[in-house]
Amino acid sequence: MNDEVPLDDEEFDAGLLEEELRRAAVILDPLPAELRQIAVEAYALHDLDARIAELTFDSVVDAIPVRGAGDVPRMLTFRAGEVTVDVEVTAQGLMGQVLPPQPARIEVLSGPQSAAPLLADDMGRFTTDAPLSGPFALRLRTGGEVVVTEWLRA
Amino acid sequence: MTAGTVPSAAYDDLPYTRGGAVDRADVGALVRSAVDGDAAAWKALVEGLSPLVWSVVRAHRLSDADGHEVYQTVWFRFAQHLGRIREPEKAGSWLASTARHESLKVLKSLRRLTVTSDPEVLDRISEDRTPEQSLLDSEEAAAESERIRRLWQEFEELGDRCRQLLRVLMASPPPSYQEVSAALGIAVGSIGPLRQRCLRRLRARLDARGAL
Repeated sequence: MNDEVPLDDEEFDAGLLEEELRRAAVILDPLPAELRQIAVEAYALHDLDARIAELTFDSVVDAIPVRGAGDVPRMLTFRAGEVTVDVEVTAQGLMGQVLPPQPARIEVLSGPQSAAPLLADDMGRFTTDAPLSGPFALRLRTGGEVVVTEWLRA
Repeated sequence: MTAGTVPSAAYDDLPYTRGGAVDRADVGALVRSAVDGDAAAWKALVEGLSPLVWSVVRAHRLSDADGHEVYQTVWFRFAQHLGRIREPEKAGSWLASTARHESLKVLKSLRRLTVTSDPEVLDRISEDRTPEQSLLDSEEAAAESERIRRLWQEFEELGDRCRQLLRVLMASPPPSYQEVSAALGIAVGSIGPLRQRCLRRLRARLDARGAL
């Protein structure tokens, strides 16, 4: 670069180049239209009444990697106040437990559509054989309360 | 930042800066309206901020499948947290930061699980042509098309740091530095100098090739 170029000119050139890149991105690496639409439809997921169970443990982040172990289940823990949900995700599906132990109706959500509920037994245990893919959340109805786990990518 | 106002003769007829650009000052108001049940406000947020989320995902070079899932997860979580976001005017930073964290999580799980494949392998630009690409294929646009492709190629070959920063900066509408900071985990104050340096480097590469 020429050192004598005044800073303003350099900034002008930088601005031009950034703008060129912006146009190139729109043409060569655009946001797919279907993804924009999915985000528009995601509005249906906003629910001011449900309590959010936040992710407090994720084995992908918090656990020490197991070398050589092929198919390690993903362990997740969500918490909303005194309610804890432990979940284990495997290639076969999902199993988990609501703590303190209590019966619950649980929906495995994969988007704004509703899902067939499953039931947790008196110990709070539940299981499904449907493998998870993509984003998911669990909606639990228990003791007159609705708790939804934070959306996560399976 | 002056980038949004720089005039240029080429592509004036392409609506690259339009498409429901949200004035960043309005983001807080739109979030509050969406909380109150205004679906149009939500749509305006998506129009204005989804390119930023996409840019953050692309900056991390996720595969198409992973990138799409991260993008969806970010918007689902944003909808879920809508009424609980403490600083609605910073929704762009919230989205950018969530996209960053989810992208890093994908990269981390890939490193854990794959031994054979390189997690940095980039899905090449899709073979499917967008309408904009088809437009570029017309004869009179062929030279422009070549120029854009060469620019993109040089951009792709920049070092990781510059490539990441520029990929986020080139979202349209342009992100604020707060949003860029949230997207990449770098201090706001270092973005300006880093941007200058990366664009200078890109310009030097293009000059060396006699392009643009």
